[in-house]
Amino acid sequence: MSSAQVDHAAAPPAAGVPTPSAFGEKSGGRAVKDVTARVVMWLAFGIAVVPLVWILGSTLVKGGHMLVDSVWWTNSQSGITSRRVGGGAVHAIQGTLIQAAVTAAMSVPVGVLTAVYLVEYGRGRLARTVSFMVDILTGIPSIVAGLFIYALWVTTLGFQRVAFAVTLALAMLMIPTIVRSTEEMLKLVPNELREASYALGVPKWKTIMKIVVPTAFSGIVTGVLLGLARVMGETAPLIILGPYTKVIATDLFDGLMATLPTMINQDRTEALQPALDRVWGASLTLILLVFMLNLLGRFVGRFSKVKG
Amino acid sequence: MKNLRFGQFAGLALVGSLALAGCGSDDNSGSGGATGGAGDVACFEGTLNAEGSSAQKNAFEEAAATYNEMCPGATVNYNPTGSGTGIKQFIAGQVDFAGSDSALKTEEKDGIVETDAAAETCGSPAWNIPMVTGPIAISYNLPGVDDLTLTPDVAAEIFDGKITTWNDPKIAAVNAGVELPATDIKVFFRSDESGTTENFTKYLKAAGGDAWSYDPAKAWPASGEGKEKSSGVSEGVKSTEGGVTYVEWSYAKDNDLGIAKIDNGGGAVELTGETVGKAVEAAASDGEGNDLRLTLDYATQEAGAYPILLVTYEIVCSQYADAETATKVKAFLTHMASPEVQQGLEEIGYAPLPSSVEEKVTTAIDAIS
Repeated sequence: MSSAQVDHAAAPPAAGVPTPSAFGEKSGGRAVKDVTARVVMWLAFGIAVVPLVWILGSTLVKGGHMLVDSVWWTNSQSGITSRRVGGGAVHAIQGTLIQAAVTAAMSVPVGVLTAVYLVEYGRGRLARTVSFMVDILTGIPSIVAGLFIYALWVTTLGFQRVAFAVTLALAMLMIPTIVRSTEEMLKLVPNELREASYALGVPKWKTIMKIVVPTAFSGIVTGVLLGLARVMGETAPLIILGPYTKVIATDLFDGLMATLPTMINQDRTEALQPALDRVWGASLTLILLVFMLNLLGRFVGRFSKVKG
Repeated sequence: MKNLRFGQFAGLALVGSLALAGCGSDDNSGSGGATGGAGDVACFEGTLNAEGSSAQKNAFEEAAATYNEMCPGATVNYNPTGSGTGIKQFIAGQVDFAGSDSALKTEEKDGIVETDAAAETCGSPAWNIPMVTGPIAISYNLPGVDDLTLTPDVAAEIFDGKITTWNDPKIAAVNAGVELPATDIKVFFRSDESGTTENFTKYLKAAGGDAWSYDPAKAWPASGEGKEKSSGVSEGVKSTEGGVTYVEWSYAKDNDLGIAKIDNGGGAVELTGETVGKAVEAAASDGEGNDLRLTLDYATQEAGAYPILLVTYEIVCSQYADAETATKVKAFLTHMASPEVQQGLEEIGYAPLPSSVEEKVTTAIDAIS
């Protein structure tokens, strides 16, 4: 689409064809504007790409060698100090995956059903309120979500800081993004499909279950995966609610659970090389995990489109 | 069929993480050597959580790692969030004990008295147990000068920017027989807020007298070139001839910087584990019984006592509500206070507790119930 526009602007008026009067004669001033706009666009693109390439490059250079070692994928940091080389990140990788899975298990039903309500059922004041609340939730800084859960879970209820509290905070961040993306996808489902279904005497709930949601399914899954990728890199709630530990932990309700962001945070200020290597390694691992989720999201989006 | 798809993804994710869980291992003991000689260490099974001062992070990690080597079933976590946060989490009952650069405050600050709040959480008085001492080195980069002595007022004037060259008569006066170059002095300070800065300015204020007009603070009050973190300032000195800074001993050692001897009036004192221990020994204890809060005398003139240091504490309940927690805390702290661990700390830039303090510390740890 954009290339067509560019071509049009750049193409010299074809000989013999009268220039469309709506655009007028191509004057020097317009050509200058055209070139300027193009240069600015490329520059902006370049500026946006530089940090991306830079980050990827430096994490690869500084952390790549950590990931090559198989110990990285099989061992935890148990018994390793900042001065000692060795150990792996399996405890953190596992913690991040577990927390992401639990967060998704909580957020996806709530988020998707809320979106279904807003698109299919919601009318009037309640729907407006829900929609407004979702907007507010979308704008909540992650540290506020973390502090809110801390106030609720620790201060009010008197529980310990555990992985489950982290997933609660992450779910708070994930639900609104799922609601928004699912809502957009459901809105894209043509009304004719619903009407055809109703015309055949199918009840509303069945129409939603069998027609609307399946039609929008790939979009919903993509939205969920992108939302998941976002919360996996979230750090603020983890620092408040999920202190780091060096050993493998799988219990959501007892003890600490390591995650990649807290692993990075733990040794971030260290000047000792073994610790720094681990920080870069963990960063690269996190980037790779998020990258794979994004790829999965695209893959699902491409191959599960509803045909016709 | 389509509705099944999400279930498939969830299943895949679950199987994936379970598979990871399956092959993950906590065993990093290397080629399976270091098991013998567990000695008389009391082992516990389970987890112990502590949080607080970042100054003792490396010492704690070392102690936790050696403990874990001897007791593979025990995990000790330390979260270096800073002394203030550690104490808050301890008061909130989130951690089993806290690490802190200063003892619990007895006077009210921000509406709470830390000692009272901690006692309320514990249901018994909370004790401050000194565990790790971290000397601060005045580090310099002067090729050819291996032996430099500074008095507190000369140090204060250097760090205040009043003395600007290394061959200043005031420096020469306390360094008889040392040939000082005419290099300009370049002061590096911590640009981030730091407990090291606070302790160093405390020292300059207490010992430097009129030469240092600023109040002790976590943020550097005087001039110079700011660098971030201990790694930044030591890097700065290392790469700048004539550079000088204050930094934890370990950084000075790791970067091969010159370390100035300090002469508080009782003769020049070199920074060693022993001289630091002497200063800790000389510190007045103003706690009661097993509550071992120390007041450091920065201006001490005792011969052979290195005066610029910080003492970090472990803050514990004297009586834990849960007997099992008490056993765990005792077992680990006993290990950390043991001579083997303390002597090992000297290698990584901390000074071991002097034996007289260690004795009191052990008594206090034994009294935890």
